[in-house]
Amino acid sequence: MRRIEALAHLVELTEHDPLVVTCAATSRELASLADRDNHLYLLDSMGLVGSVATGLAIAVDGSDVRKVIGIEGDGSLLMNPNVLPTGGYLAPDRLLMVLLDNRVYGSTAGLPTYADRVDLGALAAASGWTVGTADDEASLRAEFARLAETPGPALLHVRIEAGNAADIAKLLVDPVSITLRFTAWLTARLPRPAA
Amino acid sequence: MGTRTYAQAAAAGIWASGAKHVGYIPSVTVAPVIQALVETDGGRDGVSEHVTPLSREEEAVGVLGALPLAGSFGAVVMQDNGFGNNLTALTTFSVSYHLPLLIVANTRGSLGEYNSMIHSISQHVPPILRTLGIPVVELDRRSSVDDWHDVIAEAGTHAVMTYRPVVVLASFWNTDGKVA
Ligand SMILES: [Mg+2]
Repeated sequence: MRRIEALAHLVELTEHDPLVVTCAATSRELASLADRDNHLYLLDSMGLVGSVATGLAIAVDGSDVRKVIGIEGDGSLLMNPNVLPTGGYLAPDRLLMVLLDNRVYGSTAGLPTYADRVDLGALAAASGWTVGTADDEASLRAEFARLAETPGPALLHVRIEAGNAADIAKLLVDPVSITLRFTAWLTARLPRPAA
Repeated sequence: MGTRTYAQAAAAGIWASGAKHVGYIPSVTVAPVIQALVETDGGRDGVSEHVTPLSREEEAVGVLGALPLAGSFGAVVMQDNGFGNNLTALTTFSVSYHLPLLIVANTRGSLGEYNSMIHSISQHVPPILRTLGIPVVELDRRSSVDDWHDVIAEAGTHAVMTYRPVVVLASFWNTDGKVA
């Protein structure tokens, strides 16, 4: 499965969920498939998807939002692996990370990450996350559906092929426009000022 | 009012700023602030419902800095030598996405510091933050306990009004607290 194929399924599965997306090729490919108000693209903050999703999962506790969903890469997660112990320790009910693991820094010349030798899903499990794995489209959809209904931090470890989709436009937007769009979408779904 | 410590005033100022959740990275200097935050939030042993330990300053910017996206507001309590760890997150996330965040950090770069290594980063933190356009407000022994409360509370308001992170650097030297 290529990244853009995995993202095409995630687009279908997350129409009503806040989505925090890692930078560069992943954000671009997602936006080329669907550019929605519920997408928070982190354009240049490597490793921060899990932290931002954790903060949002804390903030939406008690609302009708089922999960805050982070879409992260293996290389980006390895730049801030604290995400795993912190998420396991704080254990927000509504946190779901989708890890698109191609074992390379896909936006950085395809240089190798540790993911060849280090099982990031096992790291998450050791930190207290509920972990599912997927290596094809059917297992991606089935495990996503299961984890979306599992309280507590959950990680869907998706094995994908290396390589980026061709001819995808850069996301050349002012980040504040993403903030305004995403915040309006999310706060409209929260019944009260979030804590 | 007159009997509270600088640390208690700082903690009260953080709540008065409108912060709904506080994340902290431990230091011996801010431990009394954290203790006061936790106690006033009904917790103990360094943890309460709205006060959360974190392991690095970078993730603190991500976790607490994200709250305004949900209509909320957060604060980070840390030590100033940790700005070397979180400048990229502060600039590419909080500053670039116009997200308010209150950071209260104790200082290790000046009077009362015994450690020349920590001084090497901490001394330069104010000009580094100002170079990045991040507002810095400095507190020390020369102002009262009540002033610390009011400045920290207003710094949070300033962050919200300007849609940016605001940093309060607090020197505990020659207050009732300790530097290290
Ligand atoms: Mg990768």
